[in-house]
Amino acid sequence: MNFEKVVFGFFIVLALTLNFGFFVGDIDNPYHHHPIELCAALAVSLIATIIKFGDRSQMGAVLLATSLVADLQLAIAAFIWGYTVNVSDAGMTNETLASIVSLSGGALLANLVSVTLLVAETISIRR
Amino acid sequence: MNDIVWLTMRRMRAPLIALILVYVLSVFGMLAIPGQDQNGNPIQVNFLEALYFVAVMATTIGFGEIPHSFTDAQRLYTYMILFPNVVAWLYSVGTLIGLFIDPQFRAVLALSRFKRQVRRIRGPYYIVCGFGYTGRMIVAGLLKRGIGAAVIEREQKIIQSMALSERFAHLPAIVGSVTDQDLLDMAGLNPAIENCLGVIAITNKDHVNLTIAITTKLLRPDLPVMARAETRRVVHNMLSFGTDHPVDPYTIFAERLYLALKSPAKYLLQDWLISVPGTRLREEMRPPDGHWILAGIGRFGSRMAAALDRAGVDYTVIDVHPDRVKARPDSVLGRGTEAATLEAAGILEAEGIIAGTGDDMDNLSIVMTALELNPNLFVVSRQESPDNDALFDASKADLVARRSLILARRILAVATTPLLPVFNEHMVHQDEKFARKVEDQLEEVLNGYSPSLWTIDIENELAQSVRAARQEGVDIRLEHLLVNSRMPEMHRLPCVCLMMERDSLRLFLPKPSQELMHGDRLLFAGRGQARREMIFSLTEPAALVSLATGRPQPRGILMRRIARKRAAD
Repeated sequence: MNFEKVVFGFFIVLALTLNFGFFVGDIDNPYHHHPIELCAALAVSLIATIIKFGDRSQMGAVLLATSLVADLQLAIAAFIWGYTVNVSDAGMTNETLASIVSLSGGALLANLVSVTLLVAETISIRR
Repeated sequence: MNDIVWLTMRRMRAPLIALILVYVLSVFGMLAIPGQDQNGNPIQVNFLEALYFVAVMATTIGFGEIPHSFTDAQRLYTYMILFPNVVAWLYSVGTLIGLFIDPQFRAVLALSRFKRQVRRIRGPYYIVCGFGYTGRMIVAGLLKRGIGAAVIEREQKIIQSMALSERFAHLPAIVGSVTDQDLLDMAGLNPAIENCLGVIAITNKDHVNLTIAITTKLLRPDLPVMARAETRRVVHNMLSFGTDHPVDPYTIFAERLYLALKSPAKYLLQDWLISVPGTRLREEMRPPDGHWILAGIGRFGSRMAAALDRAGVDYTVIDVHPDRVKARPDSVLGRGTEAATLEAAGILEAEGIIAGTGDDMDNLSIVMTALELNPNLFVVSRQESPDNDALFDASKADLVARRSLILARRILAVATTPLLPVFNEHMVHQDEKFARKVEDQLEEVLNGYSPSLWTIDIENELAQSVRAARQEGVDIRLEHLLVNSRMPEMHRLPCVCLMMERDSLRLFLPKPSQELMHGDRLLFAGRGQARREMIFSLTEPAALVSLATGRPQPRGILMRRIARKRAAD
């Protein structure tokens, strides 16, 4: 067993599960989407990206790309959330929440690709 | 560029992960603990406030308890998270700074800068391998003639001092093994780089120069290679795979000595053409053809001996190696630095002496002792280290064989005026009269200072006026190029056309009436101002045509058409 692989897999899968946890529920219902969950998803996604740094293989490049996509989507979602709550006068509306959740849905897709690639790679290595 | 990003990413992985983990967990805790406003009402800490507070705390900026004073529970929690946050932060910053001073990282940085600088060179340039005394002289000479250089040098110290010098600071330079194929590729062997003119290999190791020459000839057979080679074996080896110019400084010097002995006029002309432009023209020198003494018959001495043999000059050898002395009858065993040995070799009757040992101080001592014994001697001395220039200048030697100077001059001549070696070869095989004729012509235009040399290729933008002349139906002759086209009256430019090359045809000292054509290559010697005027005449379409027809040439199409019609009537 390779400890590095455990950490690698852990963060990539955790990024997906947290993302899913935030995404799941009615799209515009504030009770179904908690900001801490979004924050955790973004943080784990960032860590997953950093872990993928420095892998110069073909697979590594694609994994890094999917992670960057997830980061981008989640960061935009988090920024919109922060802006709506703290800066804008209107406060959180159903429409804004819907767009935040749909952004995280995009990130979820990217994370799904990431995990699929990880699984594919793991299966393809025979020892 | 890519390497830098990857290296940074790999090194920053652990600190960044630690930073994010500690930061996010601290924020979560901050959110979980209730606070209170200034009236004591319990409030929930907002997400933004938590993020902001932890960031300000972790970076040790510390704006205080924001936005309201903390409760005891909050303070206790802050106390707990304070240290891990600061440590994680410092860890990241420290790793980043450590990365910048890491030698491996700096090497990668230097490499990428070198690559970028090479790509940015606009004009033609040479790859110069080895940047010692000779390399420096060659690069300075190249720069003076508007040719760039990319330098590869093994010594870190030399590259560092290069960055401090005003002349060389902007040149692409890299510390590295000069035989590294990747480096050479980056420096210009890559076929995608088109403005690389060739490779100059002048490290002080023959074998290294040989490796560079082979690498270049294998990767880019079209690029000319100039390589320093100090033994005959290496010279032959280099020639065998097509090295264009193996340069052996001692053989060059021996040839020059032979020329000086046999034909002072040719020697003088050669001297004028290869000396640094703008220095005083040397007077003719006549080495005596009586008895000579040759002190030291090693690598240098044996070449001198061959030159003396060829010139039919009689000489006595002094050497410290018994086997070398045994091989030559009538030789004297000794250093040559003592009067006794010199006397035994016949210094009192001799007319010339060559101090050719491998040690500069020995050579100086030989020169001084010999001149004390016989002040009328013609003295030739070998100088190894360029640091001793001043000593040899003061030694009253008539000729000093300075290895790096000989190397630099020859390589510069080949690199900047490729026609010069051709002319030289021709001149050496002509009789004295030819050399005298060139000298007379040169003397007329130079006022006592050595000439600049330049090559004019009549093509591209320099062919403009020749093209214009063809349209007008007039011939451009060499004499038109030799006058100042900006002066109303005839004003001859201070230069001499040494040779003209047209495909396989070579004309030496062409006549002024020689017709010029597109594609011709001309070698001139003269004052630099003549070159500027010449380039002006060649690039200004109307200038030469006006000279050839004797009438000012209209510049506009309409006026030109009218003039042509008028001429036809």
